[in-house]
Order: sequence, then structure tokens, then C-alpha cells
Amino acid sequence: MMAFEALVNWLMSITNLFQKRKNVRLGLYGAPNAGKTSLANKISMDWLGEPVGKVSQIPHETRTIQKKEHVIVKANGHELDMNLLDMPGISTKVDYREFMKYGLTIEEAHRRSKEATKGIIEAIKWLENVDAALLIMDSTEDPYTQVNLTIIGNLEARKIPVILVANKIDLADAEPEKIKDAYPQYPVVEISALKGRNLDELYETITKNLG
Amino acid sequence: MLMQIQIEFISSALLSGKEGKEKIDFIMSSVRNGKILVLEDPLSHFEESRLIEATMKKVSSKFSGIEISTLGADTADLKTALIKMLGGKTGGLTVIGPSSLVRHVKRDPMSIRLFAGDGRRR
Repeated sequence: MMAFEALVNWLMSITNLFQKRKNVRLGLYGAPNAGKTSLANKISMDWLGEPVGKVSQIPHETRTIQKKEHVIVKANGHELDMNLLDMPGISTKVDYREFMKYGLTIEEAHRRSKEATKGIIEAIKWLENVDAALLIMDSTEDPYTQVNLTIIGNLEARKIPVILVANKIDLADAEPEKIKDAYPQYPVVEISALKGRNLDELYETITKNLG
Repeated sequence: MLMQIQIEFISSALLSGKEGKEKIDFIMSSVRNGKILVLEDPLSHFEESRLIEATMKKVSSKFSGIEISTLGADTADLKTALIKMLGGKTGGLTVIGPSSLVRHVKRDPMSIRLFAGDGRRR
């Protein structure tokens, strides 16, 4: 009997070892310009020392999924090995004329528009393939948008864990409490990806909830 | 000049026989023809994401996309699932329109406010 228990314990420890080493595909979702790439860059710089992608004021700067593999986050004695997937921003419309406001030529605007639509489709398809998600919201904007609700609804239906990130709290008109009020059933972490504020709390929440 | 806005209220019976792609195609066709649709039976979150995908495939210089808002979409709880299985209604609606016409949708958990008008750039 003792030998059997020892065998079970040994098997359990092996299983736990594999579980701890599990690699999590973490998707960074949100609307365009919510700060997904700024956050992906911050996380990657903190743990790998290299950025993920380019940040821009022009919407839909990220038009293909940008990956960073084996980003190992450590916090509170926990460790999580993640593949960061910085997703293109999801929106229900893409108007090439919006890009021209930022100085793009009509040809550049059309090209960007076409690439942006493909990126949105890709990001939606990946909702089925991520293991966990960060939904990044701009704290200065209304959090109760259909894009946010659709992303959350799709993740929830697939039982994929999600953490809400209230970004841009460094701005004077930020109201992160609105995000907490709108989605009380989810963990919400208030951060500024740009200024690197409160990232430690985010890492603790990630390792606690997704590990 | 007075602008005409066509709002079409779609009963759940009209869409009940349409599944998947057929349902999305029906919605897309109406919206691309400049109609604002109010669906008695709200779209599920899966259907919303399929609709956004279908919209992105159609974006062009003449069609920039949609505005959409849903009240009371599907929830994963057993009560809702049972009501639907028995053919009952769980309440809610979905409003969809072309973004050239529906300039903005503001919503809270209990209501949707839709701001429509000629949104074209001049």
C-alpha cells in the first residue's frame, strides 16, 4: 500500500511539473489604439529585454499578429511561460479616409485599410486558439462598447480566462473605475503601459489567474 | 433636403429558419443596402464575431463597415439554455446599421441609443 501511495505521489509530482512548465498562449485583445502593443512591448522588455512591435498614433498600426515566444513572467513565487500574441485591434468599421487625416496618401490609406480588415479577421479567428487573454481598454473611453462585449462573450463561451486591463491611467481624464463598474465579474488591473505604472500588479494577477 | 432612413424590424420568425452563413448573408445584404436592422432575436456573441468577419471582407471605398449593438445576448447559464431549448425567448435585441449612416451607438446594460444621420465626409 505504501509503495502504491509513493507511486501515486511520484506521478502527481511529475504531472505538476509538466503543468508548471505549461506554455500559455496569451492573446492581447482590444479596440485599435487601446495600447495593446505598448503593453506587449512593456511585458516583453521587462522579461525578455526586447520589444514586440512598433507603436503609432495612427489606428491599426498592428495589422498582423505579432508573437513573442517564451516570455517567462515571475511574480509572488509563481512562474508562467507565455507566448505573447499581440493582436490587431478589433473594430466593426475601417474607413480609409480616417488614415488620410494622419497624412497618409490615398494609396497608403487604401493599403492600410485592406491590411487592417485582414488583421481583424485574423484576430477574431484566434479567439478560438488562445489559452488566455488580456482585454486592454482605454480608461479614457466608454468601456461598454460592442467590440469589448463581443470579445468577452466569445472568450467566456469558450471558457477562456480573461483579465481586463484598464490602460492609460496616466491621462487626466482616465476613469478606470468605469471599467470595474461595467464588468464586475472580471479581474481588472489599472495600468499605464506607456509610463510602466502598476505592471507588478498585472504580473501578479497574470500568474495568479492564468498560471 | 430631408434625409430618408429606413429601419427594418426583423421578427425572430423571419430569422429562425436561417442558420450560420445564411443568417449573416441576409443581415449583410440589408445593411449594405443602407438599412438599419432591429432584430427581435439578439445575435449571439459567436454570430456577432462572424458578422464582423463578414463585414471586414466587404469593406471598400464605398462600404466602411457597420455599427452594432446587442442587448441581452446569450449567456452560458443553464436557465437561458433551457428556455431556448424549449423555444422560449430570453429577451433582448440587436441593432445593426451601416457606419456611413449610424454615426454612433451608445449603450448601457439596459438601453441602446443610436445616433443616425449622413455621416459622409464632405
